[in-house]
Amino acid sequence: MSQIPIERKVLNANDAIAATLRERFLEHDILCLNLISSPGSGKTLLLERTLERLAHDTHVAVLTGDIQTDNDARRLARSGFPVKQITTAGACHLDARMVETALADWKLADFELLLIENVGNLVCPTSYDLGENSKVVLMSVTEGEDKPLKYPGVFYKADVMVLTKIDLLPHLEFDDALACENARQIHPGLEIIRTSARTGAGLERWVAWIETRLHRPAAA
Amino acid sequence: MHELSIANSVLEAVQKEMTRRPRARLTKIGLRIGEFSGVEESSLRFCFEVLVRDTEMRAAVLDIERGQRDELDLSYLEVEEDEPDSH
Repeated sequence: MSQIPIERKVLNANDAIAATLRERFLEHDILCLNLISSPGSGKTLLLERTLERLAHDTHVAVLTGDIQTDNDARRLARSGFPVKQITTAGACHLDARMVETALADWKLADFELLLIENVGNLVCPTSYDLGENSKVVLMSVTEGEDKPLKYPGVFYKADVMVLTKIDLLPHLEFDDALACENARQIHPGLEIIRTSARTGAGLERWVAWIETRLHRPAAA
Repeated sequence: MHELSIANSVLEAVQKEMTRRPRARLTKIGLRIGEFSGVEESSLRFCFEVLVRDTEMRAAVLDIERGQRDELDLSYLEVEEDEPDSH
């Protein structure tokens, strides 16, 4: 009987592709965000409102992942920006290979912002690096306050949490202070942006969060 | 839900290592899984069993230890190596 040390990441095949993507994004000064949430938390609507609010000269492209249908891509394409649907045909997450394939016929030099809407799922997308600069986790006020405790992985890995649908708060017993406290228990200091895509509340701050991270050369 | 893909990645990594050791028989696979990795241990065990059921790896045991934070690592393999043929 002998033991062979291996010491490698289980997903190193995915991580290797993600590292290549990350290098390409860096080379072209692209900010890449990977949006992750449960189904129905409002990723697509947040993206629609984001695309409307970004400065008109922002060179943005969107990839949107779903198990079936291209409904989201059709919704987002109304913005006029390049949008591509990745249909995973059953897979519960996007992986780096799917992103690489989807980007194959786009010229990355044309973009400065790539928004990736992951498959609606709070667990599986967490494990797969897509080469993004940041993961963004969305949580809606119609979910339980303890969601960050139940699904800690994504809250740990995200650089920002967007609390969505806050216009519904008066109708709910949702304790948003507790939800934020739970998220920060998993990820101390996590930045949280409270938004309503319906009323527009908080969207300015969210768009500013993105715009300050664009790799634009400093103004002369 | 994605444990099947994870199990498959483990299997591929193990197979790659084992092809370099044609005389070895796999007995144990050491994994380290952190609490923020998003991987559920019992689901991973189930998926792995299904994947290896009809292979020469079916007797291999998964030795899963709790890793740090989002760790999801293949730490070691344990094998039995046949003695070199003396004839």
